[in-house]
Amino acid sequence: MSIEVKNINKRFGDFVALDNINLDIQTGELLALLGPSGCGKTTLLRIVAGLETADQGSILFHGEDATDTHVRERQVGFVFQHYALFRHMTVFENVAFGLRVRPKHTRPTEAAIKQKVHALLELVQLDWLADRYPAQLSGGQRQRIALARALAVEPRVLLLDEPFGALDTQVRKELRRWLRRLHDEMHITSVFVTHDQEEALEVADRVVVMNKGRIEQTGTPEQVYDQPATPFVYQFLGDVNLFHSRVHEGWAEVGGTRFAAPEASDKAVIYVRPHEIDIQRVATDTALAGVITHVRLLGATVRLEVNVAAGDPVEVELTRERYVEGRWSVGEAVWLSPREARVYAG
Amino acid sequence: MSGTQNAPRSIVTTESAPVRWLLTGIALLFVALFLVIPLVSVFAEAFKQGWRLYLAALVEPDAWSAIKLTLLTAVIAVPLNLVFGVAAAWAIAKFDFKGKSFLITLIDLPFSVSPVVAGLIYVLLFGAQGWWGPWLAEHDIKIIFAVPGIVLATVFVTFPFVARELIPLMEAQGSEEEQAALVLGASGWQTFWRVTLPNIKWGLLYGVILANARAMGEFGAVSVVSGHIRGMTNTIPLHVEILYNEYNFVAAFACASILALLALVTLAAKSYVEWAAARQAAEDRRHAVE
Repeated sequence: MSIEVKNINKRFGDFVALDNINLDIQTGELLALLGPSGCGKTTLLRIVAGLETADQGSILFHGEDATDTHVRERQVGFVFQHYALFRHMTVFENVAFGLRVRPKHTRPTEAAIKQKVHALLELVQLDWLADRYPAQLSGGQRQRIALARALAVEPRVLLLDEPFGALDTQVRKELRRWLRRLHDEMHITSVFVTHDQEEALEVADRVVVMNKGRIEQTGTPEQVYDQPATPFVYQFLGDVNLFHSRVHEGWAEVGGTRFAAPEASDKAVIYVRPHEIDIQRVATDTALAGVITHVRLLGATVRLEVNVAAGDPVEVELTRERYVEGRWSVGEAVWLSPREARVYAG
Repeated sequence: MSGTQNAPRSIVTTESAPVRWLLTGIALLFVALFLVIPLVSVFAEAFKQGWRLYLAALVEPDAWSAIKLTLLTAVIAVPLNLVFGVAAAWAIAKFDFKGKSFLITLIDLPFSVSPVVAGLIYVLLFGAQGWWGPWLAEHDIKIIFAVPGIVLATVFVTFPFVARELIPLMEAQGSEEEQAALVLGASGWQTFWRVTLPNIKWGLLYGVILANARAMGEFGAVSVVSGHIRGMTNTIPLHVEILYNEYNFVAAFACASILALLALVTLAAKSYVEWAAARQAAEDRRHAVE
């Protein structure tokens, strides 16, 4: 089922949480709302769910206005960051809850409930935990039970609020791959909120990058990563080095390397990712001189921090192999030249 | 002391033996002097002249009527405060609204106001010379110096117990489980019965036990509104006072022993609730570790 978000505004006192948000969510897609904390992504998700009301604007489910539909009738599945499992109920009863609270004439029989709950528990591969209580489960297990519980009512949309936010790295990675597979099997329209760009890029069909209550960019993971629409998106989707430059005849420069600058500005900010910088021991006209001050080993890659004459230290990322080959060490004088860059008016 | 056998006491973190004995001794002496001896003396005085006089003092019509009135008062006041306490705690813990802190202060008011003043408030409102006195007299409704006044005063003084117990508990639990229930299609009523109430049951029971103990033992506020009419508007605490003033010590202590007994039962019930709640929490933790 498709969802349309139209001109949604929301304030909390003086704080603008959402500033005129428009968004189309296609049937069956897995969409990520990505942004730093306080950017309004969770508020937007809760408004779509009906847990929060917008000050202005409307929400359409499958073309029908659902703005004033009570959360109970929206038929959405919601997964909370901290699971929100019913602590006094067993796993089985948690999943069965949505079926048991139905009005008598639509409530399935006890046998049907049992069958359905066990099918869902099998889907999340936790059938063997049916008689346990939430407190007896690990974080990853709890979140999978929360997902099974949300799916029990056969929701038209699945909404997940930082679903893996409270889990440790290993479990997160496992669970997000699992969520992706599950989505590929079920094709239920899903929206999940995250502040982790890696998670959004890996799992989602489309990513919506939000900042300060606005949408900065909407696109596939490749689009937002390779063609960031704004400096914010560029910065948020990975580490970045900033260079400030004056613009001469349409060109901005870093050291001596020139990049085309946007028109009609005499200053520019140049963004270069750490892995887009070449490092060498020989001085050239177009390179930036500096001294290596730190070497950080990050598993497969190595980060060098280089102090340059003007501006902040520059981060350079090398593969492990190139680092070993080059035998770079702290205190060495080096010359840097960016291979690629993105230039914004500054 | 049993810990000394399993784990040797760490020398660096304890005082020397004489100091330990002295401090423990002072504490025990204090407990004996102010808690144990008075309690024992109540029962000793009550039974001083044998079982028969003790029982006779209790089944005597005025005493029996005081017992019945006390029970009646508790039976009305406690459920009222239960409903009110849950509703107030629910509103305060799960919703944000203007005047919330004012409401919390208001709930605490009966704790900070002297019970005698609380009783006087009702005399001022409903008494013969009070605001609504003439109107009530016209319609032949008796509140002051009658059972309704006693119930009102008791409701007032026991007002905060349940709510005070529940507010921190519910605030700690948050409202995510309720939200989850709503999203799953549960009505407000279903959410309350199936999600909220099971989560607060121990705290609720604890509050009810405390409110009940206070309702049965209240003296000051009830004394002001009751009028001390024997066999009519005397609760057990008031009856004890009258008997004592008449130098009828055996009967006075017999009735007092009922209140003392109630206190002991309350303590036992309270300990059980605490134990049961702690056991459940420990079980949750134990399973979580597994």
